Amino acid sequence: MAYFIFAGDMLVMAFMIGVVIWVSLKSSRKSMDRAAAIPLNDEVRHG
Amino acid sequence: MSKFASPGTHEVYHDRVVKILVMFSIFWALLGMIAGVYAAAELVWPALNLENPWLSFGRLRTLHTNVVIFGFGVSALMGTAYYSVQRTSHVPLFAPKLAWFTCWAWQIAILLGGISLLAGFNTSKEYAELEWPFDIAITLVWVCFAIVFFGTIATRRIREIYISNWFYGGLIIVIAMLHIVNNLAIPVTLTKSYSLYAGAQDAIVQWWYGHNAVGFLLTGGFLGMMYYFLPKQAERPIWSYRLSIVAFWAFAYSYIWAGPHHLHFNAVPEWVQNLGMLMSLVLLAPSWASMINGIMTVSTAWEKLRTDPALKFIVLALAFYGLATFEGPMMAIKTVNIISHFTDWTVGHVHSGALGWNALITFGTFYYLIPRLVGAPLYSVALANLHFWLALAGTMLYVVAMWGAGVSQGVLWLSLDELGELRYTFTEIMQAMYPYYLLRFIAGLVFLIGAALMAFNLWKTIAGRHTVTVHPPQVTEAYA
Repeated sequence: MAYFIFAGDMLVMAFMIGVVIWVSLKSSRKSMDRAAAIPLNDEVRHG
Repeated sequence: MSKFASPGTHEVYHDRVVKILVMFSIFWALLGMIAGVYAAAELVWPALNLENPWLSFGRLRTLHTNVVIFGFGVSALMGTAYYSVQRTSHVPLFAPKLAWFTCWAWQIAILLGGISLLAGFNTSKEYAELEWPFDIAITLVWVCFAIVFFGTIATRRIREIYISNWFYGGLIIVIAMLHIVNNLAIPVTLTKSYSLYAGAQDAIVQWWYGHNAVGFLLTGGFLGMMYYFLPKQAERPIWSYRLSIVAFWAFAYSYIWAGPHHLHFNAVPEWVQNLGMLMSLVLLAPSWASMINGIMTVSTAWEKLRTDPALKFIVLALAFYGLATFEGPMMAIKTVNIISHFTDWTVGHVHSGALGWNALITFGTFYYLIPRLVGAPLYSVALANLHFWLALAGTMLYVVAMWGAGVSQGVLWLSLDELGELRYTFTEIMQAMYPYYLLRFIAGLVFLIGAALMAFNLWKTIAGRHTVTVHPPQVTEAYA
C-alpha cells in the first residue's frame, strides 16, 4: 500500500513538473524577457 | 478602465515600514549572535553559565536559534517582501496599516517569546519551542502578513507576477501550513501544552515541519530575496527567467518530501527513511538551478564586484548556497548519515547555510537597501568591505571547525576494539572536541564583530535622515 501511494505521488509530482516545464516553454521569449526586466524599471525617484 | 491601469502620481510606495523591519532585523541579528557566541563559549568554559538556569546552554541555544531565525530572518523577509512586492506589482502596499501591525506585533512576539524561552518554557519541539499562546499570536500575524502580501499582488497593475513573489508567496503559504499542523496541542495551563502527536508520529510531523521550515523559510524565502535584489544590484535581468520558474516548482514539489532524512536509523518505517533520502538527492537539481541562475546573472557584471560591497555579499552567499545544498543531499545518504548524524557535522552544515547563505545575502541586501531607503550613500564602503572579509573568515572557520569535530565524533563513536567493544568513552570523545569548540567560539566572535560593524555603518547611514518618497512608474503597454 505504501509503495502504491509513493508511486502515485511521484507520478503526480512528475506530471506537475511536466506541466510547469510545458507552460514555461510555451511562453514566448518576448514575454519572458518582459517579466525578467520587471525589477529594472519599478520605481520613480524625484531628486 | 483596464485592471492594469497606470497609477496616479500621488501614489507612493510604503517604505517606512520596510526601514523599521530592517532595523529590527539587525537588532535581532546582533542579539541572537551574542546568545550564540555566549553559548559557544559555555561549551569551552562551562563555568560561564554561572549556575544560573537563565544562562544554561539549553535555554541560551534555544534563544539563539529562535532569535536568529524568527527575529533576524523573518523580519528581513517581511521587510524585503514588502519592499519588492509593491515594486514588482507597480502599486503601493495593500492595507498599509495592517503591514505596520505585522511589523510591531512580530517584534513583540519575538521579545516575549525569547523571554519565555529563557525562563524555561519550552515545548521541546526543535525550532517550534514556543508555547501555545505564542503559536496563536504568530498565526494571527502570519495571516495578516499574507493579507498584505497577496492583497498587493491581487491589486497589481502589471500582468506578470515576478518570480521573487512566487518564492515569497510559497514561504507564506507553506510556513502557515507547517506551523499550524506541527503545533497542534492540548493546552493544560497558560505556559504548558501537550502535542497532539506522540512517538514516531510526533517525530515524523516534527521533521516534516523542521526540514520544510529550513526549505521554505531559510531557502525559498531567501531565494525570493535573491531573485529580486540580485538583478537590482547587478542592473541586469535574471539570466534565465524560464529556469527560475522551473526551479521554483521543482523546488516546491521536491522539498516537502525530504524531512525523513532527519530520522535515519530511527523508529520510523524504512521506506519513509529511503523516500527522504531519495527526495533529498532529487532536491539538488532545483537548488543548483537557482544558484547557477544567480551566478550567471552576475557573470556579465563581474567588474561591479570590485566596487560594490553589497553585490560581493550576495555572490558569496550564492557560493555558500551551492555548497550547503550539495552537502545536505550528501548527508541524507544513509551511509554518510551513519557518520554525520548526531555529530557537529550537522551543526557545521546548518551554519554554512545560516551564516554563509542566509546572513550574507541579507547583509548584502541591507547594504543595498538602506542607502536607497534614506536617499544617501553608505556611510563607509571601507567598513562594509572589512565586514565582508570578517564574515567570510568567520563562516569558513566555523564550518571547518564543525566539520573537524563532526567527522571526529562520527568516526570515534563507531570505533571498536578487537573484542567488538567501544574503543573510546563519550567523555574521551568530548575532551577531544576542545580545540574545535574553541575555534568555533572564535569564528562566531569574528562573525559577530563583522555584524556589529554593519550595524554601526548602517546606523550612521540612517541617522538623522527621513525615508525618501518613491512612486510607482507609469505602466507601459507592454506590461498592461
